[in-house]
Amino acid sequence: MNEITIIGAGMAGLMAGWQAAKQGKKVKIVAKGWGATHWLSGCIDIVGYYPVDGTEVVENPVAAVKQIITDNPQHPYGLVGLDDIEAMISALKDECAAAGYPLHGELHRNWLLPSAVGTLRPTCLAPEMMIAGDMRQNSPLLIVGFKQLMDFFPNVVSDNLNKQGITAAQAMVDLRVLRERSFINPVILAEMLEQPAVQKELANQIKPHLGQAERVGFPSVLGMDQAMTVKKELERLLGRPVFEIPSLTPSVPGMRLHHILTQAIVSAGGRIENGMEAIGAKKENGKVTAVYTSTAARPHPHRSQQYILATGGILGGGITTNSDGDVREVVFDLPVTAPLKQVDWFHQDFLDKRGHPIYQSGLSVNKQFQPLDDGGQPVYGNVFAIGTTLAHCEAIRERSFEGVALATGYALARQLGAT
Amino acid sequence: MQSIQTEVLVIGGGATGTGVMRDLAMRGFKTILVEKRDLSHGTTGRYHGLLHSGGRYAVKDPDAARECIEENLILRRIAPHCIEDTGGFFVVTPWDDPAFGDTFMKGCQETGIPCEEISIAQMLKEEPLLNKEMARCFRVPDGSADSFLTSECNVASAKAYGGQMLNYHEVKRLIKEGDKVVGAVCYDLVNDRDVTIHADLVVNASGAWAGKIAGSIGIDVHIIPGKGTMVAIAHRVLNTVVNRCKMPSDGDIIVPVHTVAIIGTTDVKVEDPDQFAIQPWEVQLMLDEGEKLVPGTKQMRMLRAWAGVRPLYQETSVADTRDVTRAYTLLDHSARDGVDNFITITGGKWTTFRQMAEVVVDRVCEKLNTKRECRTHLEAIPDIQHEPRTAEGYYWLGSRLARTEKNKAYGELACECELVTRAEVEEAITKHEAKTFDDIRRDTRLGMGPCQGGFCSYRATGILHTVRQPSIEETNVALRDFLQERWKGLLPILWGPQLKQERLDELMYLHVMNVDHMPGETASRLGPQMYDKGTVETRPQSAKT
Repeated sequence: MNEITIIGAGMAGLMAGWQAAKQGKKVKIVAKGWGATHWLSGCIDIVGYYPVDGTEVVENPVAAVKQIITDNPQHPYGLVGLDDIEAMISALKDECAAAGYPLHGELHRNWLLPSAVGTLRPTCLAPEMMIAGDMRQNSPLLIVGFKQLMDFFPNVVSDNLNKQGITAAQAMVDLRVLRERSFINPVILAEMLEQPAVQKELANQIKPHLGQAERVGFPSVLGMDQAMTVKKELERLLGRPVFEIPSLTPSVPGMRLHHILTQAIVSAGGRIENGMEAIGAKKENGKVTAVYTSTAARPHPHRSQQYILATGGILGGGITTNSDGDVREVVFDLPVTAPLKQVDWFHQDFLDKRGHPIYQSGLSVNKQFQPLDDGGQPVYGNVFAIGTTLAHCEAIRERSFEGVALATGYALARQLGAT
Repeated sequence: MQSIQTEVLVIGGGATGTGVMRDLAMRGFKTILVEKRDLSHGTTGRYHGLLHSGGRYAVKDPDAARECIEENLILRRIAPHCIEDTGGFFVVTPWDDPAFGDTFMKGCQETGIPCEEISIAQMLKEEPLLNKEMARCFRVPDGSADSFLTSECNVASAKAYGGQMLNYHEVKRLIKEGDKVVGAVCYDLVNDRDVTIHADLVVNASGAWAGKIAGSIGIDVHIIPGKGTMVAIAHRVLNTVVNRCKMPSDGDIIVPVHTVAIIGTTDVKVEDPDQFAIQPWEVQLMLDEGEKLVPGTKQMRMLRAWAGVRPLYQETSVADTRDVTRAYTLLDHSARDGVDNFITITGGKWTTFRQMAEVVVDRVCEKLNTKRECRTHLEAIPDIQHEPRTAEGYYWLGSRLARTEKNKAYGELACECELVTRAEVEEAITKHEAKTFDDIRRDTRLGMGPCQGGFCSYRATGILHTVRQPSIEETNVALRDFLQERWKGLLPILWGPQLKQERLDELMYLHVMNVDHMPGETASRLGPQMYDKGTVETRPQSAKT
């Protein structure tokens, strides 16, 4: 029997699985799919805007996290605390560095990196592939797009940067290998750019546009497994630092990070079973004794001493809603904290700074990450919940999406490992 | 102030206005059409897309039924590319009176609507998702129409005959000299300036807004705006238009339109055509009624909800808008109000727009003392899309894919859901005068699929910025406006998988792209008009049940 079964292979589930396996626990992850990792920017946001309806970007996440915990002790960061966030960051940085794909940044200082529309995006940890784009240094940029890739328009980036007082030019390249193709997406392009001949053609097309630019930005497609090599080669050919800017999904930087985490789990002796949707659980005497995943024949039971729910929120599918206004947790049917009335789910503006209340729906847990019933008692002795399945947090408006997932996954795994 | 001279000024860029414009231009009148937003922005672009056989009115409103079947046959001839020949069923559900079937048959016979009863087994063979408990089923020649495309094609035809169309020109007031209307002062939203248009005659084809236009010179035209709410199911659950076989009521039609199916509609009297909230009870009612026709509807993924306002007209006031005739009304204000050179056309239905236009232009000829024959029923409306069609010339579901697959631009899809290529978006911007992403949407269907703008909004931003090269603030506002416009229609139906989808769109646009911190203004003059927030959870007592 497994000691720990984790349901969900997003950032939270992967972090928990990796840390628990590292501490010698027998761990299995069962997942429907790969969570949001392939959609994310590939950076680690801890907190970028707080308060969310303010206008100022967070310069120092340490101060902002402290403020969040003071204002809202139920926030997932309130359960984790600063020390574990710090420890998670250092563990992740070590692992990525060992994998040859370093992340850079410190908890007390956010990067300001350009986005695919040319806004300045606060984030805490960024892959080395992106850091030359830091907007706190004031040197002119060239932003490069690929004619056939509609997921990145360099002129939108450069014009918005110029509007914000940052000197930027743009160039569009038209690579021969892309002209012959009837379809490209970021993943295909990333793999093509690992070929030296394509790198050379790319650099040759860019050179006439370099002008006064001291660094060159690209969509985040500079290689998949060989990203760092591609970056170094382009820097050599162009004689300037290059950097990536994340754009529409699929996210190549997200996939690189995902690959590192899954490898880390396997190396630590954990198992991941993908393509298994958890649909229910068997409960006996206040404990869960099996989680069922759907198969063609019959629900398949997964037995374990402990279960970690990391199925995500509304986005990940761990929390579902229906036309009658019901908000449900899908695996254990745990009590959900959600707006009482359906008319209160949303504000009128898509970009409302406060965020839409329905997205804060989720589970209320205690410091041990145990989901609680209406009376504040743990529902099951051996069930824990982490990541965006948790309530009391607007991770997208705060820009804390990866931080909440990774920190809760890390903190719970440490707790379970210590017992 | 800019000043323009024309023979006839048409107000309103919906089905009626563009139909009138085409007819006028074909009969040789110098014509300008003004529309306050984009073509089909009003009721025409917000209806369920049903090409009526007339069956719906066969019992209750025989005049409207006769008009429908006449025009149904003409439109199939002159604009098959705007129509999908789905056919239609009238079904008697367990909640309906089976005896009404005979009344219905008789009504169809009397109004000339081809109608045959088919077995329930045959019905289920053709539409297996329909309720198996149906008592009876009748087949009629209903169809599914693309109202956006029809307006565009009407205007293209009118332009070929010398007509001129000015979108984003909102009529501020009519100009009256003595007892004559001599033109209108318009506000050009794009260039932020007034434009005066002088005309020998003005046709008010502004639908639900006709009362507001006439009111600008003190003429009372009592339009009863009848709001109808519709809900789109994300799948095409039926290939046939399905109507309940009973007196017309709420939520009793499902129309397959392109890749989706639309449940319609409610009918609620509202005070002002510009202010209509979609109330939660309306959406619930659509789902409950849809469930009776197609069991399982409530569990399906909903794509969007919206409301259109019927321009119902009655000289005397009525309590319930369902009791107002669906036939159209021509008001010659010289006879009625002593104001010459001014005609209002209102009421009616999309299906009868051509006939309404014919009647209007006949009257224009009379008033301008000239005799010119109508030819709109004889000459085909040109197809501006050039997609492959059926042998009879109709649009069919595979049209767009067939065209896209042949095209070398197949891989360059800006909108994967609706198969819109980059070239089509560029053409909408350069040739079809699209000013906003929402205009591009009406031209190309960009953003109308399941992801509701998730991927294509960014791409459209880049294409627009590249092709038109506006200031970056303008591009930013266009993106924000479009995200907001899509959101507006999602709000009433956001739950289940569609809510999940919307959270992904938030992840991309806020988390990855940080669009909530773009420089410049947050909304523009050309931006979407929001519905009021729906707050009434249950149906008000005063409304009919």
